[in-house]
Amino acid sequence: MRQGVYVRFTIILLIVGFMIAVQYNTVQKPESRDTRDIWGIRQELSTEKQLHSELLSDIRDVNDTITKYENLQSESPAQALNETLDNLRKKAGLTDVTGPGLELVIEPSLEGMALGQQVTAISPDLLVRLLNEINRFNGRYISIDGKRIIHSSPIRDINGQTTVNSLIVNTPPFKMKIGTDTSEDAEKLYNHLKSSTIADDFFIDNLTLTIGNPENSLTVPAFDQPIENNFLKNTSKGD
Amino acid sequence: MWLPLLGLILGISLGLLTDIQIPSVYENYLSIAVLAALDTLFGGIRAQLQNVYDDRVFVSGFFFNIALAAGLAFLGVHLGVDLYLAAIFAFGVRLFQNIAVIRRILLTKWSERKGTIY
Repeated sequence: MRQGVYVRFTIILLIVGFMIAVQYNTVQKPESRDTRDIWGIRQELSTEKQLHSELLSDIRDVNDTITKYENLQSESPAQALNETLDNLRKKAGLTDVTGPGLELVIEPSLEGMALGQQVTAISPDLLVRLLNEINRFNGRYISIDGKRIIHSSPIRDINGQTTVNSLIVNTPPFKMKIGTDTSEDAEKLYNHLKSSTIADDFFIDNLTLTIGNPENSLTVPAFDQPIENNFLKNTSKGD
Repeated sequence: MWLPLLGLILGISLGLLTDIQIPSVYENYLSIAVLAALDTLFGGIRAQLQNVYDDRVFVSGFFFNIALAAGLAFLGVHLGVDLYLAAIFAFGVRLFQNIAVIRRILLTKWSERKGTIY
């Protein structure tokens, strides 16, 4: 009789213990507390808003394309396709781009020449740094010494010589052309490059960076090599 | 004697190790169920000490009380009245009473044993 009582108490206590442990787990669960202050939250809000507006403009673009297709469907679908194709080619960097932009001239510094130092080629690191600065301020179409930069352009040192797209960049002086979408962007980019410390970095390497005034019509040459594509494949029809 | 304690430890470790969490909506129900279970448990211990323990009363009381308490809380949520307070109050009072009775019985037993030794 007493043994039975103990067994029952044991079972009941097991259930009670389990319930208490579950309750404990639930109450103690680590709440991820929001410790940001108002400025942190504002920052995030502004990032989200920016994303929102970017998404909206993307949607508008796509809608435009759809409308164009629909309008042209009865007339000439080929024309709409060609327009899209041209757009894509322009984005990929396969066409000459004429539009607002500015020109940079990279020269050996006068101080270096006066001291008789040898003019060396620009280092790939410095070039990449300059490109990053330009990209930050909507420099869309860039060519370095006539070599167009596309999404896969390598900038690297080959046998001691700096190359872009595997073509050797001339020893300074050479020119860089930067195309932008609007002349406001060109203006902004100009001001940004003027105020940034990138020119100092050039000076350390005995080079000077001359930033030309924004121009309304500047032609950035096309990328003239075949684009290698190792990973993308055509989908079969119907997919 | 140690078997129930073992059961309690086993239950707690089982709950902690499985790391089960219930949605916070049902937190109230669980807390009230725990209270009901504790109440029944101490009631059972008291009954055992008073020699009026009945298996059926104990086991049915355990589950019935839990169900009743949770049902009352559920009803309260839907009626907009905090009925679970009634359950907490009832169980709380009974818990104290039961523990008080258990304490008295144990004290009496202890003093009796002491009396017999000396």
